[in-house]
Amino acid sequence: MTQHLPILSIISLFIGAFIVALIKEKNEMLRNTIVLIATFLSFVFTIMMYRPIILEGNILTYWMGNWEPIKDWAIGIGLEVDQLSLFFGLFISLSIVLSALYSFRYIERETGKDKYYVLFLMMSASVMGFIFTGDLFNMYVMIEIMTFASVALTAFRNDRPEAVEAGFKYIAIGSIGSSLILLATVIIYAQFHTLNLAQLAGELYNNYTAITIFALALMIVGYAVKVFAVPTHFVAPDAYMVAPSSISMLFSGIVNKAAVYGILRIIYVVYQSMNLSSMQFLLVFWGTVTMFIGVTMALAQHDFKRLLAFHSISQIGYVLTGIGLTTALGITGGLYHALNHTLFKGLLFLCAGAVFYATGTTDLDKLGGLAKRMPQTTLIFLIGAFSISGIPPFNGFVSKWIIYQASYEAGYAPVTIIALIVSVMTLASFIKVAQSAFFGQLPKEFKNVEEVPLSMRIPMWIMAILCIVGGIVPSTVTKYLITPAANAVMNSAKYVEVMMGKEFASKFYSNLGSAPVIDYKLAGYWQPIAWLILFGILLLAFTLVAVLGGFNPKKFSYADEEDAKYDVFFSGESAEFSHVGGSDLFWGLKYQFRHYFDFMHKIHSGLVNDYALSVVLTAAVILLYVFTFVR
Amino acid sequence: MSNKNIKVKDYIIKSAADFFTPIGLVLGLYIILHGHLSPGGGFQGGVIVASAVVLIYLGYGYEKSSSTFKPNILKKSEAIGALMYTFFALLGIFYAANFCRNVFFNIGNPGDLFSSGTIFLMNAAVGYKVLTGVGFLILLMFGLLGNKEA
Repeated sequence: MTQHLPILSIISLFIGAFIVALIKEKNEMLRNTIVLIATFLSFVFTIMMYRPIILEGNILTYWMGNWEPIKDWAIGIGLEVDQLSLFFGLFISLSIVLSALYSFRYIERETGKDKYYVLFLMMSASVMGFIFTGDLFNMYVMIEIMTFASVALTAFRNDRPEAVEAGFKYIAIGSIGSSLILLATVIIYAQFHTLNLAQLAGELYNNYTAITIFALALMIVGYAVKVFAVPTHFVAPDAYMVAPSSISMLFSGIVNKAAVYGILRIIYVVYQSMNLSSMQFLLVFWGTVTMFIGVTMALAQHDFKRLLAFHSISQIGYVLTGIGLTTALGITGGLYHALNHTLFKGLLFLCAGAVFYATGTTDLDKLGGLAKRMPQTTLIFLIGAFSISGIPPFNGFVSKWIIYQASYEAGYAPVTIIALIVSVMTLASFIKVAQSAFFGQLPKEFKNVEEVPLSMRIPMWIMAILCIVGGIVPSTVTKYLITPAANAVMNSAKYVEVMMGKEFASKFYSNLGSAPVIDYKLAGYWQPIAWLILFGILLLAFTLVAVLGGFNPKKFSYADEEDAKYDVFFSGESAEFSHVGGSDLFWGLKYQFRHYFDFMHKIHSGLVNDYALSVVLTAAVILLYVFTFVR
Repeated sequence: MSNKNIKVKDYIIKSAADFFTPIGLVLGLYIILHGHLSPGGGFQGGVIVASAVVLIYLGYGYEKSSSTFKPNILKKSEAIGALMYTFFALLGIFYAANFCRNVFFNIGNPGDLFSSGTIFLMNAAVGYKVLTGVGFLILLMFGLLGNKEA
């Protein structure tokens, strides 16, 4: 049974998709049941792999149709699940279940729900397949299914013109990315006549020619387009903004993570013997630029989901920096942040979806005071916002701290400083969101909004609780999830050995069976429980002060009432009579850095031609870098 | 190209479509069924069968072709084809060792049509999925072609 688990966790989602395609659109009950069963089964199958793989340290291989390698030559398609794959698989299948649960009520008013669920399940299944496969071409096929399903889901609300436009942009840029990956796959196949990752890792061991380096560069650019690393990120805000929130959550939670996994697999397993420190500077620099530009663009946004999309880009920058450091600690931090990003960014997207469900808009200029009508959503939003900005008792702090420490130890002190500044700016922009969407005055037209239904709150609460757990017991999470995965990244010899046999592996590796020990200590004084208690005390004190100061939660204050607390204030010289709304909290900063922001707005032109050009330019730069420095 | 609003008057194209449609269908089905014996297989044969949709469209116009091959049924059939494939592939897990494993392959003489076990059925399922899927896509695109607004 155990050996069949990888294929079952993939195929249950695919079967679910095909069955849903057969059901009539009106038959909601049956369809929801099947979607829930399919996603839940996949999750259970993935959980069942936890024990043999992570606890006992085995690696599962599975040859489709028993086509096992003959004479060290892999002909058939193989699945291979090691600790890294399973680590990604666990949180990906969890977020698929949660997103499905959330979707049931969230899209109840839309038409075309049957198509939604078919595409939803196809996208989920392709990501699971991508994570568990051990075959280079299979990776391409899965990423292609993933791209097309996500394009169609981006344009799901096709009554809105911007949705169709975003879908078009996504398909153009996404196809360029896929084509680069395909080209790289073809080149590698032409060189080695095999597509199996483990066999390729062996064949490529200290055997680099100009053409394999070329393939590496194309592969990295292709996956970077899927990750939305900065010069290729222009599509992401458009796509995340118009897609339904349950899908935006999957975009940032699983589609992005799949591409991160792709980069990890290519660099650390297939090309494991190259001089990793030559790759280090590229990835760290790229990640740092990504996190900085993402967060500064987020500060200037007026739409809840667009802002979240830019934060998603920025947080992926942290992940890239972490995994790019090529040290054990850096990879640990990067993987931890990937997990945390899925949790808190999914949570925030679900909050944005809840706001949209209740009010029908995500425009921060129109929202306000929702805390009075939607207390639970507000609480969940605050947990997510604290997590993403790295406030101590929440999970974002732990992973960011590890990344700071790792980047400092690796000699990238400027990166540490930029990462800290970006974290502060993240907090600043979430204060803006909280202030303009959840606090302040409630506009009259939202007088009757209600808290979202229970089936939408359950996924949000599950993620919120996981956010807190990840922050309170970081050592347990690290021990039982992250360290095995980081170990698998560092020990690619075992991957090859299990897949292709000891004989094959011993031809290339002299140090079989010896995994590098990952042992590290977090710098500084770090007591999560103490922080939690401190946080609780501060919260209590805050509540006490607010209540003693005459705060009355029963009293509503509407936007057109006279209340000195909410008076418009005027400031600045040339902008003397400007009205500073809640969503424009940082207008001063924007004014000071207007040249930078003007430049940024010019770059984000909205023209797909420019975006395609920037992808091509990125490819050119990466090719130059890789040919010059990577050996 | 002919529009769905215009009645077909071109008898040459119509008779050519009449003539070639059966040939295309038979050839496509032959390739699907002999996927395990000769070059080709489910996908290639399925595309050839789907070309019958194009021929009928060319000869008789959109309305006739969409009423002959009902798009809704084609869409559902594609899902059925995919389900059939996964079912036969899962048989490998239940009866032998692995997913996609060929089972019951000891029947018949090698070289015969029915001699290959479930690989034959998997091939047929792929052929069915492809012929319905590609046929549906062709109809969809022709529908857009006749639609002046789109």
